[in-house]
Amino acid sequence: MIAYKFLDEGGVSPFAGFRWPVGEWVEAAGAERCRLGIHACRRDDLPFWLGRELWEIELEDEVVAHRRKVVAQRGRLVRRVEAWNQALLEEFGRSVLGRTRGRFGSVPLVSGYIADIERFLALGRVPIAAFAAARAAELSGGAAAYDRERLRQAGWLADRLGLGST
Amino acid sequence: MRLEREVTCAELVELVTAYLEDALAPEDRERVEEHLVFCDGCSNYLEQMRATIAATGRLRAEDIPRELQERLLAAFREWTPA
Repeated sequence: MIAYKFLDEGGVSPFAGFRWPVGEWVEAAGAERCRLGIHACRRDDLPFWLGRELWEIELEDEVVAHRRKVVAQRGRLVRRVEAWNQALLEEFGRSVLGRTRGRFGSVPLVSGYIADIERFLALGRVPIAAFAAARAAELSGGAAAYDRERLRQAGWLADRLGLGST
Repeated sequence: MRLEREVTCAELVELVTAYLEDALAPEDRERVEEHLVFCDGCSNYLEQMRATIAATGRLRAEDIPRELQERLLAAFREWTPA
């Protein structure tokens, strides 16, 4: 299975601190969510895990699907998704702001999120801007609207990055 | 403790020790890490906790001055839960 993995600069895992080799299989003792295993995300999970570098990762053996990630016993970085860079991150932020403004700009209360998103983007904090956009949608249309906004964000990313439907 | 949806900053502060000790349920650990992706404040807090643990972990009991040790023990004895 091909999935995706956000890493810090230099190919370092943001939570485990593991420096990933490129092209070499990395094996874990098992595939237990958040403890053991190689963690990666599917296309629709991308907006939840934004990071500095995006890599395509091949997963093998048992791949366990979870709410917002997949976990496998073996994985190897296949290639870096070069299209993911600071400029695209900022463009993603602007797309989130534009959609939120278009949908909720004239809606009392919810429109307050727009100023929050603008402030976050001015500070370069795109992940929390995307979160705020989903919260705005939720305030307007309930939990399902939160999920739909996240799916829209994932669709935008996948489209701009030329990713498949994994 | 079981978290329903996204973790708030206040919840993360309560959970950080359990997170660092790998004592959270997997689903709660996942929510904590989701929060850390977008919350710079909590990421900084986590790093401060890690640094504090690393620094104090090197302390031996004899490294603490006697007077400070007594003040700390007195404070602990007087401590009552809020």
